[in-house]
Amino acid sequence: MPLDITLFGIQMPTLLPIFALSAVLQILVDRVMSDTGFYTYVWHPGLFRTAVFVCIFTLPCLLIYR
Amino acid sequence: MHALKLPFILQMRQASLEWLETDAPILIYMVKATIAGLIALWISMKLNLPDPRTAIFTVFIVMQPQSGLVFSKSYYRVVGTIVGVGISLLMMGFFAQDPIWFITFFAIWIGICTAAGFKYRNFQAYGFVLAGYTLCIVALPVIETPLEVFDIAVSRFSEVVVGIMCATIISDILFPRHLSDSLLSAERERFGNVLSTLADPDSIFGTKEDVQAQATRFSSGVVGLNATRINSAYESGADRKDRQHSQHLNHEYMNLSTTFHSLKNMVRAIEPQTSPEMMSTLIDLYAPIASSLRSFRTNTFSADDLNRIIQELLEAKNTIGERVKVEQEHLKPVLDEDSYDAFTSTAYLIIRLLSELHIHCVTYLSLLKHRLSGSTSTELSRVVRFSTHTDNVLVGLAALRGSGVLLVTMGFWIATGWPYATQTITLAVVIGLLIGTLPSPLDAVINFFKGGITAVIFAAVYDFYIIPEFTSDLLTLSLVLAPVLALVAWWTTQPKWSGFSLGFVFLFMYECALDPYYKIDPTKFMESALAYLIGIVFAGAAYLLVNFWSCSLTQQRVAKILRRQIVTVCEGELTLQRSALESTGRDLVQQFSTQGRLNMRSSRLVFEWLLLTLEIGRAILSIRRSLERLYPHYRHKSIDNALESIRIFFDTPSESVRKGLLITLKDSLHELRINELPNEKVQSNRLQTVMNELALIRTVLLNIDSFPVVTEDSCR
Repeated sequence: MPLDITLFGIQMPTLLPIFALSAVLQILVDRVMSDTGFYTYVWHPGLFRTAVFVCIFTLPCLLIYR
Repeated sequence: MHALKLPFILQMRQASLEWLETDAPILIYMVKATIAGLIALWISMKLNLPDPRTAIFTVFIVMQPQSGLVFSKSYYRVVGTIVGVGISLLMMGFFAQDPIWFITFFAIWIGICTAAGFKYRNFQAYGFVLAGYTLCIVALPVIETPLEVFDIAVSRFSEVVVGIMCATIISDILFPRHLSDSLLSAERERFGNVLSTLADPDSIFGTKEDVQAQATRFSSGVVGLNATRINSAYESGADRKDRQHSQHLNHEYMNLSTTFHSLKNMVRAIEPQTSPEMMSTLIDLYAPIASSLRSFRTNTFSADDLNRIIQELLEAKNTIGERVKVEQEHLKPVLDEDSYDAFTSTAYLIIRLLSELHIHCVTYLSLLKHRLSGSTSTELSRVVRFSTHTDNVLVGLAALRGSGVLLVTMGFWIATGWPYATQTITLAVVIGLLIGTLPSPLDAVINFFKGGITAVIFAAVYDFYIIPEFTSDLLTLSLVLAPVLALVAWWTTQPKWSGFSLGFVFLFMYECALDPYYKIDPTKFMESALAYLIGIVFAGAAYLLVNFWSCSLTQQRVAKILRRQIVTVCEGELTLQRSALESTGRDLVQQFSTQGRLNMRSSRLVFEWLLLTLEIGRAILSIRRSLERLYPHYRHKSIDNALESIRIFFDTPSESVRKGLLITLKDSLHELRINELPNEKVQSNRLQTVMNELALIRTVLLNIDSFPVVTEDSCR
């Protein structure tokens, strides 16, 4: 994948749209996990949430900076 | 020796527990805020953002002891910044060449934001505030060079995002404290309060003052707890079922407290006129409720205990219903019509209190079970919304103040031609937006000014001595900044320092040399500090001028709005829920008692009016609902007459209309009573409900004399 992309005539790093998309994905995953009561089995929900977000965000980033 | 040692250890243990309870959270919060601020500073310096101070400033604005608060404030800060940045790009695109249009649209936008910030609650308001002042921050500095606006917009946005990421991640990872925990304990305390108040018959039938004080505690905290619930929705762990339960508990609690207070007022009003034996009958009626609750005075509820209570309440419900019927037959020939009405409505209120208490206990039990094992005992299908109401006059006034401040400071800028006047404008607008929703804005502005001056002194020491003398890289800068950041964090935890800490944060962050490269010169420093302080003075003047809420005016507004609510209930849609009526009323009175200048006595009076409105509104809704399902030939003309005259009374209240209304109510009740009840059970019950509610309205109106005809001047 390219390092920069052009959206609406503005050049920006590809990381930015990836960040926005992974934030949306994270919100959905988080909603599902809290409604199924998954977080009651997790020692530190805050840390777990952050870690999940880092995973979601860095996976596509690996494709760019391989 | 040994005997002495043990108490000492126990003492130390107690002291350390106390420390853990009260001081440790503050210390942890200070550490968290400082770390988050420094990380934000470090990241934005590393990313070469032009204005790292915005990131660190964001951290301190957003940081709160509990993570739910941080999340929701951050969310609205991001949204507000996006909207503000977008609007400034539009404004610069359209009006950069044309000062008149630029200023006009600027003023309109600020007016809209102030009004919206005032109308909405919690951190939603903060989003609007931000949308307003981001415009100042982005658009004003580049007014001479409009083409740079895109760069400044992007960098401003990135800085805010960096700050928010740091604040949220740190607050949820490092020793997180969750709002849902405090919500849980608040709910438990409230439930315990309900039970212990109702377990004591004296809290209703007694007249002693100390019992009264305990009973008034019953009603507070609905609005606050609802805000906590909303903010806790941003945390993980609290799922949808939990939130639904809390909503229902809040709603049932509101109903319960209205019924409780009406019952109390009713008893107090009818006591002097009635025979002692009727009073003792009423107390007897209440006795089963009290006895079933009395065994349950501790604050630790187990599900089994609650189950037992619910069972007992259910039994009590049946017996009380039967007893009321028997007593009614028994008393009907003895009493005159007024006393009979009073008895019927009081007994009716007791039955209602009991059934609402029963429902409340069932919901609480279900919540307990859900928290313990994940299964619920009742299905909560209906969605209960907490609706709010804000008086439009207050909103309009706030908008006027916001736009006015902007126009005056713009005039100051044009008249002086001072390049730093843009900072005056920015700060005046920020204060106009931010402080408008606080209880006493003028005091807050004064504290803000004090904080600002202190910050300027601190910033001067940092800019001209500490930073050039001791810092050489980011690490040393962080080290020297840490104490001030910790101090600021400590100030923000103290409620009495809130205005001060806000002023300190604003001016310290903007005056301190937190640029990527050290560039500071004394003239610039002093001029911009002066500009900011002048901005605070302008904003303070605006609060001083547009602040003519007198006590009697507030009372009149409240009375008028409450009256209009009853009129709406009489003629509006039947889909209006009781919960909407209750929550808007409570929210309204809460708002007026913080914004308007009510003293103790008049706020109690206003609370009485609120209860009256809620009670009558609820009764009217119930009458109308029963009427709708009643067969046409049972629908007496007199019921419609009674409703119509209630509407007229609340539309145009006066003493003579009130007398007429009381006569109409009496007549229609009389007419309903001499007619035969329908044979069919359901229809007969509906008609019975209508009669009970009418009797209730009549007794309430007969005994309360200050509303809606405001006769007493309680403001003196």
